[in-house]
Amino acid sequence: MDGVLHFPDGSTLDTGAFLLLGMLLFVIGAAGVMIRRNPLVILICIELMLNAVNLTLITFARQLQNLEGQLFALMVMTVAAAEAVVGLAVLVDIFRVREVEDIDDLSELKG
Amino acid sequence: MVAVVFWIAFIVALLGGISVVWQREPLKSVLSLVAVMIALSVIFLILSAQFVFAVQVIVYAGAVMVLFLFVIALMGPDREGRSQRLRFQGWLALLMVAVFAGLGWAMLSGIQFRAPEKTNINLFGTVQQIAAGLFSTYLYPFEVTSFLLLVAAIGAIYLSRRERD
Amino acid sequence: MQDTAILALLVLLFPATGAVLHAFFGWRWPRALTMLLGPGVVWLSFICVVILFAGQIVDSRPTDSTYWTWITSGSFTTPFNLLVDNLSVFMCLVITGVGGLIVTYSVGYMEHENNASYARFFCYMDLFVFSMLLLVLAGNFVFLIVGWAMVGLSSYLLIGFWYQRPSAVVAARKAFVMNVIGDIGMILAAFLIWVTYHSVVFRDVFGRTGRSDSGGLEIICFLLLIGAVAKSAQLPLHTWLPDAMEGPTPVSALIHAATMVTAGVYLVGRMHPLFDVATYAHDAVALIGAVTALFAATIAFVQTDIKRVLAYSTMSQIGYMFLAVGLGAYSAGFFHLLSHAFFKALLFMAAGNVIHAMADEQDIRKFGGLWKDMRTTSLCFLVGALSLAGIIPFVGFWSKEVVLGDAFSRGDPFALAMWAIGFVTALGTGFYTGRMFYLAFWVPKSPERPVEHPHEAPPTMLIPIGILALLSTIGGFIQINAGFHNGWKLVDSFLQPAVGALGWEERSLEYIATAATVLLGAFTFFLAYRFYVQRRWDPAVLRSRYPWLQTLLERKYWFDEAYDAAFVRPMDWLGAALNRYVDRPIINGAVLGVGARTEETASDLSLTQSGYFRNYVLVFTVGVVILLAAVMIRGAIG
Repeated sequence: MDGVLHFPDGSTLDTGAFLLLGMLLFVIGAAGVMIRRNPLVILICIELMLNAVNLTLITFARQLQNLEGQLFALMVMTVAAAEAVVGLAVLVDIFRVREVEDIDDLSELKG
Repeated sequence: MVAVVFWIAFIVALLGGISVVWQREPLKSVLSLVAVMIALSVIFLILSAQFVFAVQVIVYAGAVMVLFLFVIALMGPDREGRSQRLRFQGWLALLMVAVFAGLGWAMLSGIQFRAPEKTNINLFGTVQQIAAGLFSTYLYPFEVTSFLLLVAAIGAIYLSRRERD
Repeated sequence: MQDTAILALLVLLFPATGAVLHAFFGWRWPRALTMLLGPGVVWLSFICVVILFAGQIVDSRPTDSTYWTWITSGSFTTPFNLLVDNLSVFMCLVITGVGGLIVTYSVGYMEHENNASYARFFCYMDLFVFSMLLLVLAGNFVFLIVGWAMVGLSSYLLIGFWYQRPSAVVAARKAFVMNVIGDIGMILAAFLIWVTYHSVVFRDVFGRTGRSDSGGLEIICFLLLIGAVAKSAQLPLHTWLPDAMEGPTPVSALIHAATMVTAGVYLVGRMHPLFDVATYAHDAVALIGAVTALFAATIAFVQTDIKRVLAYSTMSQIGYMFLAVGLGAYSAGFFHLLSHAFFKALLFMAAGNVIHAMADEQDIRKFGGLWKDMRTTSLCFLVGALSLAGIIPFVGFWSKEVVLGDAFSRGDPFALAMWAIGFVTALGTGFYTGRMFYLAFWVPKSPERPVEHPHEAPPTMLIPIGILALLSTIGGFIQINAGFHNGWKLVDSFLQPAVGALGWEERSLEYIATAATVLLGAFTFFLAYRFYVQRRWDPAVLRSRYPWLQTLLERKYWFDEAYDAAFVRPMDWLGAALNRYVDRPIINGAVLGVGARTEETASDLSLTQSGYFRNYVLVFTVGVVILLAAVMIRGAIG
């Protein structure tokens, strides 16, 4: 199969384009997690990665005409929300004690 | 027509993603992410995921991102400066993700897609279909996920309560 | 025959049980129980032995009872079997009878110990009695060696009983090491016996020996001889015996006079079918015995510690026993064993009384005047001394007479040479015995005497001595050779089924030799009187005229020094060298090294825990990349 998606108005797009976007966003998010030092921004980059994954899921759902992909994407969204909430709560807790600008400051659990 | 919309959304998402990582101020990062999400939701619509499109806009971009905004507004720092530590981290990270991207592309370009199953494309991704799946075959994950949300909510309340004694 | 089997087992079980009970409970039960149980189990054993003895008189055939099979490995089987024949019963009588008296004596002698120590002593004594009984009752080589080794162990434990004393610990170790040398000889002999005869059971082996095996048997018998020499403190493995006097006096009496040191004699007697064929080894036994007898007697001339005099005297008398069994006069040797057990145990215990009364002083030059203060002990000691010197009518006379008489009667040049050495030794024996008695008891009180009014010993210590004195007086009459052709030869006739009859006839010339021995022995005993009591000739003058002689004897012919230089120093050096170059760097290094290297590695690895979140994510990503690559490569290949 060639993975070409047909649309009602007659235009076609290759599945690969969607997947490419997904992969690029994922990779950018991963780079962000590793490079940025603000804890909040790191959480945001994680959200970006999750969104990329969602995109991939929806793409395959459309390509294979199987609804499971979309359902799974919904679950991912839910879990992402939950995880963002808890993560922010933890950060808020830490922020109360000290002003954390740089995640490298939180490095007591070492060697 | 659809293709044009798609490509616009593609570019917006990509630029937004880069902006998320590039921006020095967290506030701007969040706003970039919102843009990415809106673009993605358009793409979802293109991919016949109407319900997911709606949920993405309302819940994800609407609620979760607002939450982030609030937290940043209340207690986030303004800027992120340069760092003395882990000097090679940045370069190594970029190298790794480049390799990863290369591998991913190599994998995806050789992909042989399965034949799609026979469904009615007009009904695909509608609320009815999603509801049918969610409340029959996938009831268990649904319930568990709702429980997870409950737990997360309780946890968040607990963690952020004021008194500390 | 079932009864014999049960009785034999009981003989072993009583002291074994005693030892075990004392070991586990003796330290916390009342002292009275130890006083009862310690000797009690030995006496119970004695009763069983007496019953067995009576049985053997009625029916003198041996009984070999197998109780169970201990080892079965391929074609090698070792049963646990006990051989009850006239010889083993004879030995058991000595062990349990004289042993019982000595253990009873030690109830009083050891009373100054605390409860735990007291119990420990009787535990060890019972252990020893058990081991010795096992040695003589064993029906095969393996259990003989087991008993042999355990006797050595008991000796070590008892010599070093007062382990807080460094000299005792050293002496115990010395005894044990020399005993082990003997054990090696025994074990090698057992190996050779297995290889040659394919059995370790006595009955089987003795049945299969023949004249043609003489070459192999010579080697086997020489190896057995090494064991006997070590255990019986004969030349050249004799140096441990004088040092063994560090142990308590009852220990010296039991182990180093009456029983353990006689194990070598028993061995030759038991193995007589082998020695009868291996004539060189057999002659070696006699030669070693004779030379040791003379050698030890000369050293006894200059000893000042009463126990050392007795120790060298023991060495000398065992030499007589070796002489006898080495020439083939087995009953003579065993009769002397019996009589020596009587009078030597008596002498040691009487000496123990004196030591006790003298507040642990053992130098005879510091005694004197004890004849007045401790009449009973002195009298008993005198009986023992006369016995040792071989004066009629005491038992020592009869048994020494049999030994020398049988040697003389054999008539061949070798036997006569042995007889001559024995004769000269008897003269020496008379002299040193007299010296010992006079200096310790007869001469006026020495100014250096530590105790003003020494008190006589309590009944528990006097009664056993009294019994032995009585036995030493009348015991000789069970075997009368001299002067009576159809004499009463109870020992001969009892032991004959086990060790065979004397291979030659008595000669009438023998009686002249006997008379000469007695008279000259008495003469030298009296000569000592002239030297030491009447001071007719001052020994100090002799000493100044021949100082080298004095030194030679005092230094025990430099044996200890020679062994020290030849064996002890090299071994010490070797041990130290191995410790420095092998044990510490290599073995310790390896063991500790494992630990150290592990620690180092862990320490290095812990550096990866940098604490930085971003680092961890990076490593994570690297892992994912690698996995992805691996999957893809596998997919590309496969």
